[in-house]
Amino acid sequence: MALTRNEIIEKLKEVIQLALGDKANIEEYTENSNLITDLGLNSVGILYIVIAIEEFFSIEFDDVGFGDFQTVKDVIDYIYNKVNA
Amino acid sequence: MAFTNPNVFDKYTDAKTLEKIVDYASVAKMWQKSVEQYPNNLALSCERQLTYAQLDLEVALFRTVLVQSGVKKGDNVGILAPNSIEFVKAFLAVTTLGAVAVLLPAHLDQHTVYGCSLKFSLKSLIVSPALNSSVEFLSKQRPDFNIINAEQRADNSTPAAEVEGGAPCTVIFTGGTTGRSKGALLSNQAVMRGVKNGCYGYKEVFEQRYLLVLPLTHVFGLIRNLLTAFYTGSALHICRNPKDMFKEIAIFKPTILVLVPALAELALNLSKQFGKNMLGNDVKYVICGAAMVAPYLVKEYLNFGILLFPGYGLTESSNLVSGNPEAVNKPSSVGLIYPGMEYTVVDGELWLKGINMMDCYVGEPEENAIAYQDGWFKTGDLVKIDEEGFLYITGRKKEIIVLPSGENISPAEIENYFYEIDCIQDCLVYDSIENGASVLTIEVLPRLAVLKAKGIENADEYIKEEVQRVNKNLPSFMKINKIIIRTTDFIRSPSMKIVRNQNGTNKK
Repeated sequence: MALTRNEIIEKLKEVIQLALGDKANIEEYTENSNLITDLGLNSVGILYIVIAIEEFFSIEFDDVGFGDFQTVKDVIDYIYNKVNA
Repeated sequence: MAFTNPNVFDKYTDAKTLEKIVDYASVAKMWQKSVEQYPNNLALSCERQLTYAQLDLEVALFRTVLVQSGVKKGDNVGILAPNSIEFVKAFLAVTTLGAVAVLLPAHLDQHTVYGCSLKFSLKSLIVSPALNSSVEFLSKQRPDFNIINAEQRADNSTPAAEVEGGAPCTVIFTGGTTGRSKGALLSNQAVMRGVKNGCYGYKEVFEQRYLLVLPLTHVFGLIRNLLTAFYTGSALHICRNPKDMFKEIAIFKPTILVLVPALAELALNLSKQFGKNMLGNDVKYVICGAAMVAPYLVKEYLNFGILLFPGYGLTESSNLVSGNPEAVNKPSSVGLIYPGMEYTVVDGELWLKGINMMDCYVGEPEENAIAYQDGWFKTGDLVKIDEEGFLYITGRKKEIIVLPSGENISPAEIENYFYEIDCIQDCLVYDSIENGASVLTIEVLPRLAVLKAKGIENADEYIKEEVQRVNKNLPSFMKINKIIIRTTDFIRSPSMKIVRNQNGTNKK
């Protein structure tokens, strides 16, 4: 399933919003936001995003581990390369 | 005044099941009985499946590997392996030989592994090949140290040893009440009491299907998940990567899940997001503990037809202290204190005695002196107990952060990593709740002289970059989420120490 970068961003926003909870304002963040220190994701929050991304985008994360991603952009790039491979 | 709860759980289980909940002196004895009773039941499932009889044979062969490497009864033998069949095999082989399994968390760095080899007087270390890089420093510093490959095989078996209840069984890492990492030594009878307690409070106990997602180096994973599964002739599926948990649940169809609250909540949120019960239709019970359980989880799980039992435990008490069979009626309680334990409440703090309590913190005379008073173990947890004997955790005296994921972290230990930054004069790590989520925060007091000497113009940005640099290399559960740079000093004691409970979110 090929997706554009914008389509990925829109879906990813939905996933991150759910991981952060209703009170978080997703629009405050940019592609350069750091997942840990800007979004404040802990290990369980990251696990949530990984599982939700796999389910939403029908992809499987490689063994790279989510720890290799620093920013939102890293995640978008990873998904983009996976779904358009 | 001391209290006990001898038979409070009996009414929650039928007489036939109660009869089967018996005492075993040691892990060796329990394992032998389970193999005799359930030889053809599935014991373990991971990348391959093993019945009790098949696993027993593999354990007996691995005992030979250990004996040939020079392991003897009473030796301290480290195990450094991720959750796997090899971990389970190594644990059973060590404990059924009457040696002591010192469980090293898989995330330890190579210097800490070396330090543990000295601190715990390890005679040998069983290492999974996946973690070989974690023992490089140890091999360099101690070339003669006995390292055993967890995947090594022997051609013949070695029988299990006779192991007494009082004999030491395992050493498990904990932050304890002071927050500094140490090893709690649990005897065989303590571990077995903890395992037995896991059988109380619900109806369908024996020959169940468990799924393991918690680390086996944590008491909740080792005792309530692995060993209670073996005690009850149940099957245990090892989920090696938590991200695959729901896919594997769909295939393995567990009936009992042992989860920390954060995972229970994650399952719930994913179920809501995808409009289906991610836990499938077979799960009957969720045993939930190792961190505070939000009462709403009990109600939400009931909507899926699943009973979620909040509980409370400590590493020092071989896991279970209390479990809640009345969760539906009393969702904010952590339940009734298990039989075999004496308890009292002193100035609001829960104190415990009993067969399930640890022998000591290994090699920590000062920590032991702080932890005990008049033979009682002081839990560091503030509690209240209602008229029916149900326990409620109301606060914490101890200097430790328990994350919703069950990870026990010592703020002092994390702070130490950041003290390597020369422009940090002092720092304080604490856990705060923002938007309902746990946020690990560091407050930093800059060392202005260093910043000036370095000619740093934007001090805040520089400090944040430095903190990020250290943060990047920490294990994921220790990573700081929020950085606050202070312009005023912390509140300090007369001896100039930062007073934890008057700073950060612990402020009273």
